[in-house]
Amino acid sequence: MTTLVLDNGAYTAKIGYSHEKVSVIPNCQFRSKTSRLKTFTASQLDEIKDPSGLFYILPFQKGYLVNWDVQRKVWDHLFGKEMFKVDFADTSIVITEPYFNFTSIQESMNEILFEEYQFQAALRINAGSLSAHRYFQENSSELCCIVVDSGFSFTHIVPYCRGKKMKDGICRLNVGGKLLTNHLKEIISYRQLHVMDETYVINQVKEDVCYVSQDFYKDMDIAQLKGEENTVMRDYVLPDFSAIKKGFCKPREEMNFTGKYKTGEQILRLNNERFAVPEMLFHPSDIGIQEMGIPEALVNSVHNLPEEMQPHFFKNIVLTGGNTLFPGFRDRVYKDVRSLTPTDFDVSVVQPQNPICYSWEGGKLLSENPDFDEMVVTREDYEENGHFICEEKFDI
Amino acid sequence: MVEKKIAVRSQEANQRRVLDRATRQRRLTRQLEALEKDNFQDDPHASLPQLAKRLPQFDESNESSKKRKKTRGDHFKQRFRKNFQALLEEENLSVSEGPNYLSACAEPSKLPQRHFCAVCGFPSNYTCVSCGARYCCVRCLGTHHETRCLKWTV
Ligand SMILES: Nc1ncnc2c1ncn2[C@@H]1O[C@H](COP(=O)(O)OP(=O)(O)OP(=O)(O)O)[C@@H](O)[C@H]1O
Ligand SMILES: [Mg+2]
Ligand SMILES: [Zn+2]
Ligand SMILES: [Zn+2]
Repeated sequence: MTTLVLDNGAYTAKIGYSHEKVSVIPNCQFRSKTSRLKTFTASQLDEIKDPSGLFYILPFQKGYLVNWDVQRKVWDHLFGKEMFKVDFADTSIVITEPYFNFTSIQESMNEILFEEYQFQAALRINAGSLSAHRYFQENSSELCCIVVDSGFSFTHIVPYCRGKKMKDGICRLNVGGKLLTNHLKEIISYRQLHVMDETYVINQVKEDVCYVSQDFYKDMDIAQLKGEENTVMRDYVLPDFSAIKKGFCKPREEMNFTGKYKTGEQILRLNNERFAVPEMLFHPSDIGIQEMGIPEALVNSVHNLPEEMQPHFFKNIVLTGGNTLFPGFRDRVYKDVRSLTPTDFDVSVVQPQNPICYSWEGGKLLSENPDFDEMVVTREDYEENGHFICEEKFDI
Repeated sequence: MVEKKIAVRSQEANQRRVLDRATRQRRLTRQLEALEKDNFQDDPHASLPQLAKRLPQFDESNESSKKRKKTRGDHFKQRFRKNFQALLEEENLSVSEGPNYLSACAEPSKLPQRHFCAVCGFPSNYTCVSCGARYCCVRCLGTHHETRCLKWTV
């Protein structure tokens, strides 16, 4: 009997057997300008030599699974002979779902897992709960933690106490990596070069050059300086997917402040965009989304919890999800939370080694837990009791 | 003299239409919705006119499935071909108790609103009279008038 752990994110699936290592694979399909007849699924992205103008077909909308056609194609690919060669009759699955997942999505999930793929047993759970599990395993003396999961679709802030999710404290910001990339595309297209069709390329630009500012207005001042003094400015060499396979920043010493290069590559000049884009996570209202930013929402969420627990949450802030990889993210969360909390509270913000796979690792640990067999629903259970038993056992 | 000045000013003001609040809000909503889009370009398949007709399309309709044997997949398709908005409405959250998708949304910030130039992104102190966009200097205002301001149809 083996267990497959699948953190089924809206951008990437984090997948692997619990006794093996994790793989991170696009959870979507693609179409390319160069082979217009073909639809590429998940890891087949690697077959596309020229991903400029790459067209995305995503199973998720606003973080919720709505396009089952696409999701099943991706899962067929992941579970099938090309990748994990799952022997369903002998495999349990741990699979993640978003907080407050809609009832009908939960039911189709049960049907697909048990009736279509026929997994032997399943545990459906929130990715944040797996992260919390991992955190409590590593920090067994801690009673509480608050998980920040900032992924593709949105950002959740979720308090956990002794392994239990505290539903009243869950807070969602409608800001995630997708919005950041689209916003960056939009401002670059307005200010210098039309890139609205280049999601793939600009997403890479975002991951390569954006950072979280520690002093926003100071960085704004620096970005307004001319020449050498402007230490924020970067020139990014765009890939042409022949000579230049991957974009990169011109090294500082090769930078030409007039912006003119003889070499003829296509250059994007990035200045305040570098930190103004990730700033949306800290001040969504900057672009008209009237919601608190992460630190303010986190402090607000803790203040709504029982008073005696509050110090424990501030001491155990855990950052997960792809956006937390922006340089400066952790320090800024610390700085802002610190300034919003009374000085007699300790504040500690933990960024795991691999914040994207942290919840997958939690799933792996959970599957090795002695209680695991109690937590799953077996196919037999399901066949006998239907959705009811899943509703009873799973805490989504 | 004084009279003349006023005349000139009001003429200038008349030249530029002023958008009302509802229109400004609609514009903002549309901008925010655009940030949720998966793609801005057309599906490469769609630009193959004859082929597109013969090949099964991604958004395959019921027509073609009639011909095929009904599989489980078709069943799922019928039952769960709902978009986010439809699913959200189906949940009927306005009458449900306890924390849910709607109640979990972050509250508006208590911190003061910050303002940035709609053209260059630097902090801004001025507001465009016509559309309410922010700008930081005469040059950016010029660009704004030429490129966006009233040119975006709503
Ligand atoms: N090094 C990086 N710097 C900045 N952003 C990054 C980095 N690596 C990944 N991201 C962004 O993180 C996002 C994906 O994060 P993650 O894998 O946590 O999301 P997901 O689990 O697929 O989505 P969700 O949890 O919303 O369903 C993408 O938008 C990606 O661009
Ligand atoms: Mg995720
Ligand atoms: Zn400006
Ligand atoms: Zn204007």
